[in-house]
Amino acid sequence: MAEVKTTLQDIDLSGKPGKAVAFAGQLDETNVDTEAKKIYALIDEMATPNLLLDLEGLTYMNSKSIGYLTDWYSRTAAKNGKIVIARPKPNILDILKVVGITQIIPIFETIDEAKLALSAAPAAA
Amino acid sequence: MIPTDPFMASSVVSKTNAMTEAPIKIMITIPTNGYFLSGLRDFTMNLVRNMTGFSEQWAFRFQSVIDELVNNAIEFGSAPGQDVKITFLSQKGKSIEIFVEDTGTGSQKKTAEQMVKWVEEHRHINPMQITSIRGRGLSSIVANWTDVLEFKNSPAGGLIVHVVKYLEKGEQL
Repeated sequence: MAEVKTTLQDIDLSGKPGKAVAFAGQLDETNVDTEAKKIYALIDEMATPNLLLDLEGLTYMNSKSIGYLTDWYSRTAAKNGKIVIARPKPNILDILKVVGITQIIPIFETIDEAKLALSAAPAAA
Repeated sequence: MIPTDPFMASSVVSKTNAMTEAPIKIMITIPTNGYFLSGLRDFTMNLVRNMTGFSEQWAFRFQSVIDELVNNAIEFGSAPGQDVKITFLSQKGKSIEIFVEDTGTGSQKKTAEQMVKWVEEHRHINPMQITSIRGRGLSSIVANWTDVLEFKNSPAGGLIVHVVKYLEKGEQL
Protein backbone atom coordinates (compact mmCIF):
# COMPACT_ATOMS: atom_id res chain seq x y z
CA MET A 1 0.00 0.00 0.00
CA ALA A 2 1.26 3.44 -0.88
CA GLU A 3 2.33 5.73 1.92
CA VAL A 4 2.09 9.48 1.97
CA LYS A 5 2.66 12.13 4.59
CA THR A 6 0.92 15.48 4.41
CA THR A 7 2.37 18.36 6.44
CA LEU A 8 0.63 21.70 6.90
CA GLN A 9 2.52 24.86 7.83
CA ASP A 10 1.57 28.51 8.21
CA ILE A 11 3.40 30.86 5.88
CA ASP A 12 3.53 34.62 5.66
CA LEU A 13 2.78 36.09 2.25
CA SER A 14 3.84 39.71 2.68
CA GLY A 15 1.36 40.17 5.46
CA LYS A 16 -1.27 37.80 4.12
CA PRO A 17 -1.75 34.44 5.78
CA GLY A 18 -1.15 31.34 3.75
CA LYS A 19 -0.57 27.65 4.15
CA ALA A 20 2.17 25.43 2.81
CA VAL A 21 1.04 21.88 2.18
CA ALA A 22 3.92 19.44 1.73
CA PHE A 23 3.24 15.97 0.33
CA ALA A 24 5.87 13.26 0.76
CA GLY A 25 5.47 9.76 -0.63
CA GLN A 26 2.94 8.48 -3.14
CA LEU A 27 -0.63 9.62 -3.78
CA ASP A 28 -2.71 6.84 -5.27
CA GLU A 29 -6.13 5.23 -5.12
CA THR A 30 -5.50 3.80 -1.66
CA ASN A 31 -4.83 7.07 0.14
CA VAL A 32 -5.75 10.09 -1.94
CA ASP A 33 -9.33 10.41 -0.69
CA THR A 34 -8.14 10.56 2.92
CA GLU A 35 -5.45 13.13 2.17
CA ALA A 36 -7.82 15.22 0.07
CA LYS A 37 -10.16 15.68 3.03
CA LYS A 38 -7.38 17.52 4.88
CA ILE A 39 -7.04 20.01 2.04
CA TYR A 40 -10.79 20.52 1.72
CA ALA A 41 -10.92 21.25 5.46
CA LEU A 42 -8.12 23.77 5.05
CA ILE A 43 -9.89 25.54 2.20
CA ASP A 44 -13.11 25.63 4.20
CA GLU A 45 -11.53 27.11 7.31
CA MET A 46 -9.52 29.86 5.57
CA ALA A 47 -11.32 33.05 4.66
CA THR A 48 -9.10 33.53 1.63
CA PRO A 49 -7.23 30.30 1.01
CA ASN A 50 -3.75 30.86 -0.39
CA LEU A 51 -2.12 27.47 -0.69
CA LEU A 52 1.42 26.53 -1.63
CA LEU A 53 1.61 22.85 -2.54
CA ASP A 54 5.18 21.70 -2.02
CA LEU A 55 5.63 18.52 -4.06
CA GLU A 56 9.36 18.06 -3.49
CA GLY A 57 8.83 14.82 -1.58
CA LEU A 58 6.10 13.44 -3.81
CA THR A 59 7.27 10.51 -5.94
CA TYR A 60 3.97 9.44 -7.53
CA MET A 61 0.51 10.87 -8.13
CA ASN A 62 -2.34 9.23 -9.97
CA SER A 63 -5.03 10.80 -12.15
CA LYS A 64 -7.47 11.06 -9.27
CA SER A 65 -5.03 13.10 -7.19
CA ILE A 66 -4.63 15.41 -10.19
CA GLY A 67 -8.41 15.68 -10.33
CA TYR A 68 -8.38 16.82 -6.73
CA LEU A 69 -5.78 19.47 -7.60
CA THR A 70 -8.15 21.02 -10.12
CA ASP A 71 -11.03 20.91 -7.66
CA TRP A 72 -8.92 22.61 -4.97
CA TYR A 73 -7.99 25.23 -7.55
CA SER A 74 -11.65 25.92 -8.28
CA ARG A 75 -12.59 26.11 -4.61
CA THR A 76 -9.75 28.46 -3.68
CA ALA A 77 -10.55 30.68 -6.65
CA ALA A 78 -14.20 30.79 -5.58
CA LYS A 79 -13.01 32.31 -2.26
CA ASN A 80 -10.63 34.74 -4.03
CA GLY A 81 -7.67 32.63 -3.03
CA LYS A 82 -4.81 31.15 -4.99
CA ILE A 83 -3.07 27.85 -5.29
CA VAL A 84 0.42 27.25 -6.63
CA ILE A 85 2.69 24.24 -6.92
CA ALA A 86 6.38 24.22 -6.02
CA ARG A 87 9.31 21.87 -6.59
CA PRO A 88 7.71 18.94 -8.42
CA LYS A 89 10.08 16.13 -9.38
CA PRO A 90 10.56 15.67 -13.15
CA ASN A 91 8.17 12.69 -13.32
CA ILE A 92 5.50 14.62 -11.41
CA LEU A 93 5.92 17.66 -13.67
CA ASP A 94 5.69 15.31 -16.66
CA ILE A 95 2.30 13.96 -15.61
CA LEU A 96 1.01 17.42 -14.66
CA LYS A 97 1.91 18.58 -18.17
CA VAL A 98 0.29 15.65 -19.96
CA VAL A 99 -3.06 16.26 -18.29
CA GLY A 100 -2.85 20.00 -18.84
CA ILE A 101 -2.62 21.12 -15.21
CA THR A 102 0.28 23.40 -16.07
CA GLN A 103 -2.24 25.50 -18.03
CA ILE A 104 -4.34 25.94 -14.90
CA ILE A 105 -2.11 26.02 -11.81
CA PRO A 106 1.20 27.94 -11.77
CA ILE A 107 4.25 25.79 -11.05
CA PHE A 108 7.52 27.07 -9.61
CA GLU A 109 10.96 25.61 -9.10
CA THR A 110 11.51 27.15 -5.68
CA ILE A 111 9.50 27.90 -2.55
CA ASP A 112 10.50 31.56 -2.70
CA GLU A 113 9.15 31.95 -6.23
CA ALA A 114 5.93 30.24 -5.23
CA LYS A 115 5.53 32.49 -2.19
CA LEU A 116 6.15 35.55 -4.32
CA ALA A 117 3.41 34.49 -6.72
CA LEU A 118 1.00 33.93 -3.85
CA SER A 119 1.92 37.28 -2.31
CA ALA A 120 1.08 39.22 -5.44
CA ALA A 121 -2.26 40.95 -5.51
CA PRO A 122 -4.93 39.10 -7.46
CA ALA A 123 -5.36 40.21 -11.05
CA ALA A 124 -8.14 42.71 -11.64
CA ALA A 125 -11.35 41.12 -12.90
CA MET B 1 6.78 -17.78 -27.55
CA ILE B 2 3.47 -17.08 -29.30
CA PRO B 3 0.53 -15.94 -27.18
CA THR B 4 -2.35 -18.41 -27.21
CA ASP B 5 -5.10 -15.85 -26.71
CA PRO B 6 -6.40 -14.63 -30.10
CA PHE B 7 -6.23 -10.97 -29.09
CA MET B 8 -2.69 -11.36 -27.79
CA ALA B 9 -1.75 -13.27 -30.91
CA SER B 10 -2.32 -9.99 -32.72
CA SER B 11 0.24 -8.27 -30.52
CA VAL B 12 3.18 -6.39 -31.96
CA VAL B 13 5.61 -8.77 -30.29
CA SER B 14 4.09 -11.93 -31.69
CA LYS B 15 4.13 -10.46 -35.20
CA THR B 16 7.78 -9.41 -35.03
CA ASN B 17 9.11 -12.26 -32.98
CA ALA B 18 10.09 -14.71 -35.67
CA MET B 19 13.48 -13.34 -36.70
CA THR B 20 14.51 -11.27 -33.69
CA GLU B 21 15.62 -11.56 -30.09
CA ALA B 22 13.15 -13.41 -27.89
CA PRO B 23 10.70 -11.03 -26.25
CA ILE B 24 10.13 -10.61 -22.57
CA LYS B 25 6.75 -11.89 -21.50
CA ILE B 26 5.56 -11.60 -17.92
CA MET B 27 2.05 -12.39 -16.68
CA ILE B 28 0.75 -11.26 -13.31
CA THR B 29 -2.61 -11.88 -11.66
CA ILE B 30 -3.64 -9.69 -8.75
CA PRO B 31 -6.76 -9.57 -6.60
CA THR B 32 -9.15 -6.64 -7.01
CA ASN B 33 -7.52 -4.64 -4.26
CA GLY B 34 -5.72 -1.33 -4.59
CA TYR B 35 -3.27 -2.52 -1.97
CA PHE B 36 -1.25 -4.19 -4.74
CA LEU B 37 -0.99 -1.14 -6.99
CA SER B 38 2.11 0.25 -5.30
CA GLY B 39 4.02 -3.01 -5.76
CA LEU B 40 2.84 -3.27 -9.34
CA ARG B 41 4.15 0.23 -10.05
CA ASP B 42 7.52 -0.65 -8.54
CA PHE B 43 7.66 -3.81 -10.65
CA THR B 44 6.78 -1.85 -13.79
CA MET B 45 9.43 0.75 -13.07
CA ASN B 46 12.15 -1.88 -12.69
CA LEU B 47 10.98 -3.86 -15.72
CA VAL B 48 10.91 -0.86 -18.06
CA ARG B 49 14.13 0.62 -16.70
CA ASN B 50 16.17 -2.57 -16.82
CA MET B 51 14.75 -4.85 -19.49
CA THR B 52 13.09 -2.91 -22.30
CA GLY B 53 15.61 -0.35 -23.54
CA PHE B 54 13.24 2.52 -22.78
CA SER B 55 14.48 5.55 -20.87
CA GLU B 56 14.00 6.47 -17.22
CA GLN B 57 11.29 8.93 -18.24
CA TRP B 58 9.31 6.16 -19.91
CA ALA B 59 9.77 3.94 -16.86
CA PHE B 60 7.98 6.61 -14.83
CA ARG B 61 5.35 7.05 -17.53
CA PHE B 62 4.59 3.35 -17.69
CA GLN B 63 4.16 3.32 -13.93
CA SER B 64 1.26 5.67 -14.50
CA VAL B 65 -0.09 3.76 -17.50
CA ILE B 66 -0.23 0.46 -15.61
CA ASP B 67 -1.61 2.11 -12.48
CA GLU B 68 -4.46 3.75 -14.37
CA LEU B 69 -5.34 0.65 -16.39
CA VAL B 70 -5.33 -1.72 -13.44
CA ASN B 71 -7.18 0.70 -11.21
CA ASN B 72 -9.91 0.98 -13.84
CA ALA B 73 -10.14 -2.80 -13.99
CA ILE B 74 -10.47 -2.96 -10.20
CA GLU B 75 -12.97 -0.14 -10.01
CA PHE B 76 -15.17 -1.09 -12.93
CA GLY B 77 -14.48 -4.51 -14.40
CA SER B 78 -13.74 -7.08 -11.72
CA ALA B 79 -15.86 -7.52 -8.61
CA PRO B 80 -14.28 -7.75 -5.15
CA GLY B 81 -12.76 -11.17 -4.71
CA GLN B 82 -12.09 -11.52 -8.43
CA ASP B 83 -8.82 -10.99 -10.31
CA VAL B 84 -7.17 -8.71 -12.80
CA LYS B 85 -4.69 -10.23 -15.26
CA ILE B 86 -1.77 -8.18 -16.50
CA THR B 87 0.56 -9.24 -19.30
CA PHE B 88 3.74 -7.37 -20.21
CA LEU B 89 5.41 -8.00 -23.54
CA SER B 90 8.53 -6.24 -24.67
CA GLN B 91 10.81 -6.56 -27.64
CA LYS B 92 13.91 -4.92 -26.20
CA GLY B 93 14.70 -1.63 -27.84
CA LYS B 94 11.53 -1.73 -29.92
CA SER B 95 8.28 -1.81 -28.00
CA ILE B 96 6.41 -2.32 -24.77
CA GLU B 97 2.93 -3.84 -24.75
CA ILE B 98 0.55 -4.28 -21.87
CA PHE B 99 -2.69 -6.26 -21.73
CA VAL B 100 -5.01 -5.73 -18.75
CA GLU B 101 -7.98 -8.08 -18.50
CA ASP B 102 -10.82 -7.88 -16.01
CA THR B 103 -13.44 -10.55 -15.39
CA GLY B 104 -16.49 -8.52 -16.35
CA THR B 105 -18.03 -9.14 -12.94
CA GLY B 106 -17.82 -5.54 -11.71
CA SER B 107 -20.99 -3.63 -11.04
CA GLN B 108 -19.87 -0.91 -13.45
CA LYS B 109 -18.40 -3.14 -16.14
CA LYS B 110 -17.87 -1.61 -19.55
CA THR B 111 -17.85 -3.17 -22.98
CA ALA B 112 -15.13 -2.58 -25.55
CA GLU B 113 -17.57 -0.56 -27.64
CA GLN B 114 -18.42 1.67 -24.67
CA MET B 115 -14.74 2.24 -23.95
CA VAL B 116 -13.89 3.15 -27.54
CA LYS B 117 -16.73 5.67 -27.54
CA TRP B 118 -15.71 7.09 -24.16
CA VAL B 119 -12.09 7.60 -25.17
CA GLU B 120 -13.05 9.21 -28.47
CA GLU B 121 -15.37 11.61 -26.66
CA HIS B 122 -12.84 12.57 -24.01
CA ARG B 123 -9.33 12.44 -25.40
CA HIS B 124 -9.38 15.86 -27.06
CA ILE B 125 -11.23 17.78 -24.37
CA ASN B 126 -9.52 20.96 -23.20
CA PRO B 127 -8.17 20.16 -19.71
CA MET B 128 -9.61 23.41 -18.42
CA GLN B 129 -13.07 22.09 -19.26
CA ILE B 130 -12.75 18.94 -17.18
CA THR B 131 -14.39 19.71 -13.86
CA SER B 132 -14.72 16.21 -12.41
CA ILE B 133 -12.22 14.52 -10.12
CA ARG B 134 -12.09 11.46 -12.38
CA GLY B 135 -11.73 11.11 -16.12
CA ARG B 136 -8.09 11.91 -16.88
CA GLY B 137 -6.43 8.52 -16.51
CA LEU B 138 -7.41 6.77 -19.70
CA SER B 139 -8.16 9.67 -21.99
CA SER B 140 -5.23 11.89 -21.02
CA ILE B 141 -2.46 9.83 -19.48
CA VAL B 142 -2.80 6.44 -21.18
CA ALA B 143 -3.91 7.83 -24.55
CA ASN B 144 -1.07 10.35 -24.69
CA TRP B 145 1.68 8.02 -23.55
CA THR B 146 0.91 5.08 -25.84
CA ASP B 147 0.85 4.64 -29.62
CA VAL B 148 -1.91 2.03 -29.59
CA LEU B 149 -4.89 1.96 -27.23
CA GLU B 150 -7.52 -0.62 -28.04
CA PHE B 151 -10.24 -2.61 -26.34
CA LYS B 152 -11.70 -6.06 -26.81
CA ASN B 153 -14.48 -8.00 -25.13
CA SER B 154 -12.96 -11.20 -23.78
CA PRO B 155 -14.62 -14.58 -24.43
CA ALA B 156 -15.06 -14.90 -20.65
CA GLY B 157 -17.17 -11.74 -20.51
CA GLY B 158 -14.58 -9.24 -19.37
CA LEU B 159 -12.73 -6.39 -21.00
CA ILE B 160 -9.18 -6.54 -22.34
CA VAL B 161 -7.30 -3.28 -22.73
CA HIS B 162 -4.24 -3.42 -24.96
CA VAL B 163 -1.64 -0.66 -25.18
CA VAL B 164 1.58 -0.44 -27.17
CA LYS B 165 4.42 2.04 -27.07
CA TYR B 166 7.06 1.93 -29.81
CA LEU B 167 10.53 3.09 -28.88
CA GLU B 168 11.14 4.49 -32.35
CA LYS B 169 8.38 7.05 -31.91
CA GLY B 170 9.22 7.95 -28.35
CA GLU B 171 12.57 8.10 -26.73
CA GLN B 172 16.23 7.37 -27.18
CA LEU B 173 17.81 4.38 -25.51
